Order: sequence, then structure tokens, then C-alpha cells
Amino acid sequence: MSQENTPVIELRHVNKHFGSLHVLKDISLQVKKGEVVVIIGPSGSGKSTLCRTINRLETIDSGDILIDGVKIPEEGKELASLRSQIGMVFQSFNLFAHMTILDNMTLAPVDVLKIKRKEAREEAMRLLERVGVADQAHKVPAQLSGGQQQRAAIARALAMHPKAMLFDEPTSALDPEMIGEVLNVMSELAADGMTMLIVTHEMNFARRVADRVIFMDGGVIVEEADPETFFSSPKTERAKLFLNSITAH
Amino acid sequence: MSISALLSQYGDRYLQALFTTWKLTAFSFLGAFLIGILVTVLRVCPVKPLRSFGDFYVQIFRNIPGAALLILLVYALPYLKVLFPYDVCVLIATTLIPSAFCSEHLMSGINTIGVGQIEAARALGLTFFQMIRRVIIPQALRSTVLPMTNLMVATMLTTSLASQVPMRPMELTGIVSYINTRSAGGVAAFAISAVLYCATGLVIGFAGALIDRKVRILR
Ligand SMILES: Nc1ncnc2c1ncn2[C@@H]1O[C@H](COP(=O)(O)OP(=O)(O)OP(=O)(O)O)[C@@H](O)[C@H]1O
Ligand SMILES: [Mg+2]
Repeated sequence: MSQENTPVIELRHVNKHFGSLHVLKDISLQVKKGEVVVIIGPSGSGKSTLCRTINRLETIDSGDILIDGVKIPEEGKELASLRSQIGMVFQSFNLFAHMTILDNMTLAPVDVLKIKRKEAREEAMRLLERVGVADQAHKVPAQLSGGQQQRAAIARALAMHPKAMLFDEPTSALDPEMIGEVLNVMSELAADGMTMLIVTHEMNFARRVADRVIFMDGGVIVEEADPETFFSSPKTERAKLFLNSITAH
Repeated sequence: MSISALLSQYGDRYLQALFTTWKLTAFSFLGAFLIGILVTVLRVCPVKPLRSFGDFYVQIFRNIPGAALLILLVYALPYLKVLFPYDVCVLIATTLIPSAFCSEHLMSGINTIGVGQIEAARALGLTFFQMIRRVIIPQALRSTVLPMTNLMVATMLTTSLASQVPMRPMELTGIVSYINTRSAGGVAAFAISAVLYCATGLVIGFAGALIDRKVRILR
């Protein structure tokens, strides 16, 4: 199924309403294997919603979403299995509060992927090492700093060997001094060839890491370009206004 | 009669009554706990009719007086050709009513979990039952130890309903009526049972506090 040029993530004419509010308007988008796509845009423009429709945390009204060329199942075991192939990192970390970091890491690999517990633990420790929180493995999430929790959350998603990773403002809930450590982990992932779709307000990071920047406003993809072009010479008025508003302060 | 006279004459019977109360409490609470978990799973499951059934169940048994339920079981069921022994009727009543409260406690425990963790579980590919078993119920249980402790004490007090039917052996409330129809035990006969109830309640409360300290979730 998965040929070399099949996009890992593809949205075709996706529409989504919340009641009468039209949040995603005819969105079409492809993310190829190994590509890093950053979505930016003002608050309420539908970035999170877009991100969440991709593993069906939000349903859509019309259009198609394909993962590796396969339409996302509507529900049941097939949907669960598809979700396990897409990693997701949230603004608020969302580690399981009653488990140690290590148990957070092994829960889904053991229960969903049926990996042996011992192997899952070894792999978990390797990943925690990689994101720099191996020494926190036996603590519960509340004992970690925000930056450590978010790095552990990224490791937890990686433990599922995802085809792609979705990030919804992964650094927005962090104190400034912890943002860098999370962005570094993400940069390394990108450099390792992970397919990533990232919603962020970190423009310097976007500029450095993105292969492509998507600017959304009012539920529409307004502009799409490589970061250099987008940040130095945005084409649309709305993108210019947005970039000015965030650099102004 | 004085307390010491009562104890020397009826000590064995009080002891037996205490054990009966303990047994009723233990079985009722265990049953209430299991049914409460089951009903709670129904109340959060994706199937609407099952959710409604769960809510309906809780509304019924949360709002029916224990004595009324017991009377129904003992005197009305036989008309439907269902005849349970007295102790079974008591056990059913003292299980079903606390089970509704157990579910209410668990629901409030679930509400403390936060939608983010549920979404993370779904995003990791956990099925509904995996999520229930590994994330939702464990957290709900660990954050409701103190309410559950109170529920166990309340369940113990509810077992005094057994005194309304001729159940043998008698429990702590039934034994008081039994003694007072034979000797003039008066308030002293009540006092002995009251002390035994209180002592049991204290032990339950103490154990609950210990467990709570051990399993409480750091947030
Ligand atoms: N569950 C919901 N129910 C109703 N409306 C919603 C819901 N979630 C989001 N919305 C609305 O949909 C619109 C898009 O929201 P979304 O969260 O996708 O925006 P966003 O671009 O991620 O914004 P932000 O930068 O603030 O995170 C907003 O107007 C928001 O109020
Ligand atoms: Mg958002």
C-alpha cells in the first residue's frame, strides 16, 4: 500500500463544524514521509482542530483523511489500531497521573502492540534516555517539571513506533526556560527523519526545522510555503498582519 | 439491667451479632463495590442505551428507602413466586442501595481525571475497555478511598435493616430488640450495640485513611 510517494498524512477537502461554526473549510493537505510541516495562525483559526481530526479525536463532516493512503476507520478496533500508528503530543502533556513515567511508556506498547513487558521496558528506557529523562523513570508525572513531562510524553508517543507525530502547541504550557529542551528533542526527531505535523507559536523553531509552513486563518489554509519564503516575504495580507502582530511584542 | 449483667448473660449473643453485622457488611460492600464498578462502566460507555440504563439504576437505588426495598423483597416478591430466605433479602437490599452510591463516588472520581488523559489514551490506540481497565477505573478508585470508606460505614449501618425481619442469626440491632423482649435491658442494651458499631466504624475509618495515604494520586 505504502508506496514511496504516497503521503503519510493526506486530507482531502475536509470540512468540520462545531454547531454553526465552520472551523475547517475545505482543507486539503499532504505530509510526505520524513517531512516536517509547521502550522501557524491566530487563536481560533482551527489549528488544534485540524491536528485532532487526523487521529479522529474530532470527527469531520465531509472530506477524507488518509494515513499512508488508507482512509481512517470510523470507530472500533480499526480506529484504535490506526491511532496507535500516529503519535500525538498535547499542550498539557497528558501523562497518566497514577503511573510512573516508565509505566506510562509501556502501557500502550504492551496492551496495544502486544510487545513483551521486558522488551517494552528496555525500549522505554532507551527512549527516555534519548529525551534526557531516564533518571525520572520511576517517578510519577507530578514529580517532574513541565519540560520533563513533555519530553516523557514525546517518548511515550515514540514508543509506539508511529508513522508520524502530531504536536499541538507542545511548548505553550511551559515556563520559558523549559521550552528549549522540548524544542531540542523535537529538532532531533526531525533530523532523524520523523514525519511531523506541528502546531506552534515558536517562529524561530519553525524557521529552523520546518520543511514547509502552513498559515491558517478562519478555518482556511491561507498560505503555504517553505519557511524562508514565508517568513521573509509572505504573500498574503493576513499572513503579514499575523507575523507583524507576533513580532511586535 | 446493668451493662455488665447484660454482657455476662448475653455476651455470646452480642459477639455472634457483631460477627453477623461484620459478615453482612463485608458481603454487601463487596457486592456493592463490584456492581458499582460495573454500573459505572455502563454509565461512561459509548452505547447510549447502556448509559441510560446505568443512570436509571443509580437513580432508583439511590432514592429508594432501604426499609421500603426490604419490604418489597420480603413481602412483594413472593406474589411473583420469587421467595428468598430473609438473609438473602437483607443482603440484596444492603448491596443494591450502596452500589448506587458507590457508582456516584466513582463518577466523581472519574471527573477528576481530566479529558486530556482520556484523549492521550485514545491517541495511543487503547480500546474503550483497555482505557477503562488501565486508566479510568484505577484513577477513580484511588481518588475515592475516603468516600468509599464512608460508604462502607454507611453500609454497615444499613445492615441494621435486618432487624426488621426475623433473620437468624441476628445482627447488632436485631439483638437489642431480642434482649429487650426478654429482659429489661433498656438503654444499656442499645449502648452495647452502639459501642460495637462505633468501634467497627472507627476501624474501617482508620484502615481507609491508611489506604488513602498509600494510593492517593499526586496531581
Ligand atoms: N469542542 C468544541 N466545541 C465548540 N467549539 C469549539 C470546540 N473546540 C474548538 N472550538 C472552536 O473552534 C474554533 C477553532 O478552534 P481551535 O482550537 O482549532 O483553534 P486553534 O487555532 O487551535 O486556536 P489556539 O491557537 O487558541 O489553540 C474556535 O473558534 C474554537 O472556539
Ligand atoms: Mg489550539
